[in-house]
Amino acid sequence: MSAPLRRLQQAPRHLLVCEKGHARHERSRHAAHVRDHAYNCRVSVLIPECGVLPQVLKSAVADLGEYYVVRGLSVHQLVAHEFVESFVRKGSCYALAYNTRIDQDNTAALLPTGKLILSVDKDTYEELGLQGRPSRYSGKKPMRYIITIDLTDSSFHPDGKKHKRVLWALKEKKPLEFDFLLAWYNSGAEGSTLMSYFSKNQIQALKPKVTFSTLRDLQCPVLQSNELQGKPEESCSTEELFEWLGAVLNQVNLDNVSSSFLSTYCCPQPNTIVDQAFLCTITGFIIPEKIIQLLEQLCCYFGEPKLAQWLTLTVHGFADSPVSWRENEHGFHKGGENLYNFVIFRNLDYWLQMALGTNDDCPP
Amino acid sequence: MAPPAAAYERRVLVSAAQHCYLRVRLELPDGAARPGAPQLKQLVVAALRELHGEVGAALPVDVLAYEEKSLCAVLRVISGGLVKLWSALTLQGFYQNRRCAFRVLQVGGGLPSITAVLCVCLAPFFPFLPFLVSNDLT
Repeated sequence: MSAPLRRLQQAPRHLLVCEKGHARHERSRHAAHVRDHAYNCRVSVLIPECGVLPQVLKSAVADLGEYYVVRGLSVHQLVAHEFVESFVRKGSCYALAYNTRIDQDNTAALLPTGKLILSVDKDTYEELGLQGRPSRYSGKKPMRYIITIDLTDSSFHPDGKKHKRVLWALKEKKPLEFDFLLAWYNSGAEGSTLMSYFSKNQIQALKPKVTFSTLRDLQCPVLQSNELQGKPEESCSTEELFEWLGAVLNQVNLDNVSSSFLSTYCCPQPNTIVDQAFLCTITGFIIPEKIIQLLEQLCCYFGEPKLAQWLTLTVHGFADSPVSWRENEHGFHKGGENLYNFVIFRNLDYWLQMALGTNDDCPP
Repeated sequence: MAPPAAAYERRVLVSAAQHCYLRVRLELPDGAARPGAPQLKQLVVAALRELHGEVGAALPVDVLAYEEKSLCAVLRVISGGLVKLWSALTLQGFYQNRRCAFRVLQVGGGLPSITAVLCVCLAPFFPFLPFLVSNDLT
């Protein structure tokens, strides 16, 4: 086939990693996967055979914490010694540039591990003068560079050359300023808050928005926790479940016939019809610690006998985040997807699906 | 007896999805007749026929969801047909003799990837919120 014809039939690469395990196994990595995915903008919980918010989730949903939006924050303020000592070293500090496009603009992000990630275009990189590496998805002529600065490194102290160079680059050589989404988790330790630290900037505290809805007469696929690939006539595969879940979240009609003009999509077989299903959606800048708490409470949901065989927890990451899992570089390409989905079964087996796009590495 | 706990297993699927999904919005001038779901499907098929002929028009495209108020739709197409569909939508310029434009808002290989994020009310703080901009919580 000639090259133009081949290109006509190409679709962007889509990566789906499916894992299965048991939540109470000592070496289970479900919490590690959640912790490694730093920036989350939407969390959806779907519980079949449930009509109202379950008791176990009430406290988790009420205690989602706050996040902050700071307008016009200079990046050198995140590198300042006082900020590093007060927030980065004492707890987990998350910061993500807001309203920037990862494939066009400069972007900055601060990971809870203390690493500051700057994803900048070629001109900015040359003007900044800091050491970085070309983006993996930039092609033969690198047009995008990634600079990683470890703020908690022992050599990064105020008297050191490194610190002075970074501060000079970000303050005088090429000042970078963004609107940031900020969050801080410090497990109860006392100390100053982000609100008081950035009181001179335009900072506003916001709470994640929570909505509930009850779905009636929902067709749900039948799943067997041991069969990731599904068994014909007995259970559905993980890919079918993933598509079905997207259909539910997008309010797609699941009841079409193959001769229908509009849509031929229908719920995968075998399936059952449940009278009601509870859908809780949380949007905002949600930190992994809160998601782990939510996950633990969802595992406790099956502590008492329940009609539901399984429930799902879906977490979407930001499309324009410079990193996906850990420090893996994330690019937008045509979709910028980075999301994961847990299916928790009655016996606390779990399935985990992690979906990524073209300009992404395989998650750990 | 309770079934044994699931053993750890990991499968990596690269471009294994049979379908691609698009979230599109149809832009029409004020006062133009708004299409219903069957009319939208007809418009999509006509666009494919216009650019790619009868073979293009036979491409299996599903209108999974459609909201007449906002003229937003979720389309599903087989992976090999994404380029044909996207190009046909881009070049479709007329609906019932009125100017129109398809805006492709999101594209993904999995249906959960194109879930529209609900709006977070940052409007009083940021007076200008472009629709579905990056990192934006809209």
